[in-house]
Amino acid sequence: MQIETEASGEDTVLKVSGRLDTLNAKPFEGQLLEAVKASNGAIVVDMAGVDYVSSSGLRALLVAGKAMSPHKRKLRLKSLQPQIQEVFDISGFSALFDIH
Amino acid sequence: MSGFDRAAASLDVAPSIDDLPRVSDWLNELAEQDGWPERMRFGLELSLEEALANVISYGFEGLAHPPRIRVDYFRLPADRVALRIIDNGLAFDPLSVGEPEVAASVEEARIGGHGVQLMRHFLAGLDYERAGDENRFTLIADPHKAA
Repeated sequence: MQIETEASGEDTVLKVSGRLDTLNAKPFEGQLLEAVKASNGAIVVDMAGVDYVSSSGLRALLVAGKAMSPHKRKLRLKSLQPQIQEVFDISGFSALFDIH
Repeated sequence: MSGFDRAAASLDVAPSIDDLPRVSDWLNELAEQDGWPERMRFGLELSLEEALANVISYGFEGLAHPPRIRVDYFRLPADRVALRIIDNGLAFDPLSVGEPEVAASVEEARIGGHGVQLMRHFLAGLDYERAGDENRFTLIADPHKAA
């Protein structure tokens, strides 16, 4: 898993590539929470390079979303590959996040 | 469900999530060797990781005996395949866990419980039995299963 972070105006974009699996979920969650702390804008997770996600990867996103929601901040996801989109759809996570 | 023929392959798994990438490599070698369709490969890789992550994280809490985890691979009729996870941890039937409720918002969403939901979606069958001091959790995949 690799994560590149860049600012886009008020927002922070995390470009993630590789696998969001059980082993990578904790470091992924840590980097998401760092990004949440470091700014006040939305967080955009660009998933174009993610080819695998398990429920632990979903959990990391949910933890970040829960940390942001009291402050009315948005966690947005973009460019999900079809199988990744399917995992989000089946688990009900598609309805929880703003996905483009 | 226990009456499969002899396993075509087996892998001993260490009780640590650090061993999961090695399990994925093993599974992907089987996929290549047996020509699994991509969707079936993805479903099995995901389901096996979910199942093993549960066993490794919770299966041996408070137990004194040495943990033992093995995955057996079976080729079944009509191109179906099965993976059976055998462990000597606490008796636990993953199929006894109810489906998580569909949450309307991030605030209401419960963390966890999605692993078995994903297995049911991607696989053709799941079976659990307790045999002696072992859990036997079987994942069955069918290349002809529709999305």
